[in-house]
Amino acid sequence: MMPLVLADTGEEAVIKRVGGSTEMKKHLEDMGFVAGGTVTVLNTIGGNLIVKIKESRVAISKEMAGKIMI
Amino acid sequence: MDNKQIRIALAGNPNSGKTTLFNKLTGSNQFVGNWPGVTVEKKEGKLIVDKEVVLTDLPGIYSLSPYTLEEVVARNYLIEEKPDAILNIVDATNLERNLYLTTQLTELGIPVVIALNMMDLVKKAGDSINVKELSRQLGCKIVEISALKGDGVKEAALAAIETAKNGKTVPQHTFSGPVEHALAHIEEVTVHNLPEEQQRWYAIKVFERDEKVMDQLKIPADVRTHIEKDIAAAEKELDDDAESIITNERYVYIGETLKGIYKKKGKGQLSVSDKIDRIVTNRILALPIFAVVMFLVYALAMGKSIADGGIAIGTFLTDWANDVLGGAWLTDGSRAILEGWGAAPWLVGLISDGIFAGVGAVLGFVPQMLVLFLMLCLLEDCGYMARIAFIMDRIFRRFGLSGKSFIPMLVGTGCGIPGVMASRTIENERDRRMTIMTTTFMPCGAKMPIIGLIAGALFGGSTWIAVSAYFIGVAAIVVSGIMLKKTKMFAGDPAPFVMELPAYHLPAWGNVLRGTWERGWSFIKRAGTVIVISSIVIWFLTSFGSVNGTFGMVDALYEDEDLVTDEYVAQVADRMGIPEDEVEPMDDSILARIAQPASVVFKPLGFGDWKPTAATVTGLVAKEEVVANFGIMYAYDDQEGEEELEENGDQIWDRVADDFNAFSGGHGKLAAFAFMIFNLLCAPCFAAIGAIKREMNSPKWTWFAIAYQCGFAWVIAFIVWQVGRLFAGGMNIVGLVLALVMLALLCWQLFKPYKEAQKLTVK
Repeated sequence: MMPLVLADTGEEAVIKRVGGSTEMKKHLEDMGFVAGGTVTVLNTIGGNLIVKIKESRVAISKEMAGKIMI
Repeated sequence: MDNKQIRIALAGNPNSGKTTLFNKLTGSNQFVGNWPGVTVEKKEGKLIVDKEVVLTDLPGIYSLSPYTLEEVVARNYLIEEKPDAILNIVDATNLERNLYLTTQLTELGIPVVIALNMMDLVKKAGDSINVKELSRQLGCKIVEISALKGDGVKEAALAAIETAKNGKTVPQHTFSGPVEHALAHIEEVTVHNLPEEQQRWYAIKVFERDEKVMDQLKIPADVRTHIEKDIAAAEKELDDDAESIITNERYVYIGETLKGIYKKKGKGQLSVSDKIDRIVTNRILALPIFAVVMFLVYALAMGKSIADGGIAIGTFLTDWANDVLGGAWLTDGSRAILEGWGAAPWLVGLISDGIFAGVGAVLGFVPQMLVLFLMLCLLEDCGYMARIAFIMDRIFRRFGLSGKSFIPMLVGTGCGIPGVMASRTIENERDRRMTIMTTTFMPCGAKMPIIGLIAGALFGGSTWIAVSAYFIGVAAIVVSGIMLKKTKMFAGDPAPFVMELPAYHLPAWGNVLRGTWERGWSFIKRAGTVIVISSIVIWFLTSFGSVNGTFGMVDALYEDEDLVTDEYVAQVADRMGIPEDEVEPMDDSILARIAQPASVVFKPLGFGDWKPTAATVTGLVAKEEVVANFGIMYAYDDQEGEEELEENGDQIWDRVADDFNAFSGGHGKLAAFAFMIFNLLCAPCFAAIGAIKREMNSPKWTWFAIAYQCGFAWVIAFIVWQVGRLFAGGMNIVGLVLALVMLALLCWQLFKPYKEAQKLTVK
C-alpha cells in the first residue's frame, strides 16, 4: 500500500483505503474516491495531482492525495 | 393538490448542466459558469410549459452530507420545504458519480424524475446506456435530454409535473445485512413519529452520525447510547466507520446496477481535455502559460490603446467614450442645448456639470470593462479558469490561502461583489473569511477610473501607475494573508484542495456574451441610479452654501462685492488653510464646510484637503463616485470666465494636479499616490460591504473586515507619504519615526515564526 502521491502518471490503480479527518474523508468519498474504485494520475504539478476518478478529472492537493492509499 | 402551486426542485452534480437546463425550462437568463459551484444560492423560476409550476435551482452538490455550504443549502430546502418533485439532472458521461447523488435523493420520500443529460456525447463516443432498464432498477422515470441543444427539455418538465401530481419514488437499493439491521432499530426508536416517507432518510443520517440531524431530532441521551451500540456493532462487523460503509455500499450498488446497462466501447484513451491538460497544467509550462494569458487579457482590455500602437481595444474605446461621448457630446452638448433654450443657470449647472459630468466620468469606463469581462467569461467558459485555481494553489498556500481564493480575486478585478460571493466555493471557514476580507483589495472595475485619474492628472498617463495598483492589490492580499494567518483567529493549515476540473469545450458564444453583458449591465445600471442621485446631491452640496451669512449658489454670491469683503476672504482663507488669492466660491459650499473638519483624518496621509476627503467618503456609496465627484468639484468655470470649460478631461486633470500640488506643499505626486493607495485598499462600496455582510453572516466579522481594511489602508498610505517625503524632501520627523515604527510592526508580524494554534477558536 502506498499513498496516491507516489503513483506513476498514467497508471491505473485501485484505491485500498481513504484516510484523513471525517470531514475530509467524506468529501473525498462523495467525489468518488472509495475503496475498490480505480484512479489514474493524469498529471502532477508541485506535488499536487490531477487524477481521473470515475469519469471526471479532479484536481487534488498533495496533502489530500497523501490520505488516499493505493 | 388542485389549488396548490406545484414546486419542483432541480438538483444535480456541479457542472452537470443544471443552470443551462434551468434557463431552458424557465426562459430566464442565468449566467452559466464552467467551474463547479457557480450556483451558490437557490434561484426560482416559473416553467415555460406551465406557469403555475415553480422550479427551484439548487446549488450543485455531490452528496447530501453536511460538510459544504452548497450541500447544506440544498438539503435544508429538500427536507424543510418538501418540494412536490425533484428533477434530478444526471450527466450521462459520468453516470456512476451522478447516480451516487440520485440514490440519496430517492431516499427523501419526494418523487424523483431523472433528466439524463449529455446522452448525445455518450452516443458519439460509441457507448450505450440501456435507459429503460436503468429506469426500472432505480424506480424512477428517466427522460433523455440535451440541455445545451434543448432536446427533450419539455418532456422532462412534463414528466416532472406528472410525477409531482401523482408519482411516488421508493428507493430500490438496500444496504448490507448489518446496516439494515441497525437502520431498522433506529427507525423504531427515533424517527417513527416523523412522516413515513422521510423516515428512511433520517434513519440513514442518524446511522451516519450526522450531527446536524442528530441535533434537529433531539434524541434523548439514553436512546443515543442505545443506537450507538447498534451502529458500533455494524461498524465492527464491516470494519469501517458508519459514514464510509454507507458511501461504499452506495457505490457498490451503482456499480452492480450499471454492469449490464452501461456498455463502454473505448477504454483508457486520453480525451482531448486530458491532452490539453498535459500542456496547460504541465509542471514547467503551467505558470508561463498562465502569465501569458493574463498578460493578454489585461493588454487587450487596459493596456496601450490601438490608437497609440498598442493592442488594447478596451483602452481605445474608453478613450473615445471619455473624450468624445462624455466630454464633447454629453457635457458640452447638453450645455449648449440648454443655454440655447434659455434655461436658468442653476438648471444648466445641475444637468451639465452635475449629472452629465458625474455620470459621463463613470460611463466612459464601460467599454474597457466590457472587454475585460468578455475575456474573463471566455476563460471561464472554455474551462481554463478552474485550472488556474489548481495552478495557483501551491503559490497561494505559502501565504495561507487556498488556490480557490484566486477565483474570487480574479472575479474581484471586475467587481468586488461577485468576487466576495464567489468565495462561497471555499469549504473551509477560515479560508473563506480571509478571502472575503482580502478580495476587495484587488482593484475592481470601479476603482479603475481612480487609477486612471491619478495616472492621467499627475503622472502623465504612465502605465506604471496601473501596474503598481495591481501590484499593491496583490501585495496587500499576500501581506494580509501572512499577517492574519499568524493571529489566533486564522491559525491552521489552509483547507486541502480538491476540485473537479470541467472538460474543456469551445466557448458557447451566447453564454459568454450573456455573462459579459450581465456583469457590464449591473455596472451601467449603478451608474444610472446610485450615481445619478449622488451626483445631484454632490452637485447641490458643492454649488450651494452660505457666504458671509447669506445662503444661495456660491458662484452667484461671490459676485456680490458687499458680501465678499476682503475681511471675509481672509476669514475663509484662514479656515481652509490656504492663501487669500486662492479662495474660491466652492470653499464656502456646504460640502467644503462638512469635509474640511473631517479632512484632519487624512492630513497625516498627505491629502488632508476637503476635496479629496469628500471624494473618499462618497467613494463608499460607489467607488465610481470618487471620480464622478472630482468631475463635479473641478468642473467649475473659471471665475473670470476667460477659460470656458471645453475639453473636460484635460482641464480637470490640470486642476486636480494644481490642487494636489497646492495643498501638499509641492508633493502632489506623492500625495496623489497616497490618496490612490488609500482609496484602493480601504472599505469597499456599500454594495460590496453588503455582500461581505451576507457572506460573513455575522456583524462582528463584518465590522472586523471593514475595520481591518480601513486600518490597513491608512497605515500603508501613512507609511508611503511619510517615508516618501524622506526622499522627496520636506519630511516630518515625528511622522517619519511613527511610519518606521509601523513598518517595523508590520515586518515583525510578517516574519515572526508561525506557531500552529493548538485548537480552533473559530466556530
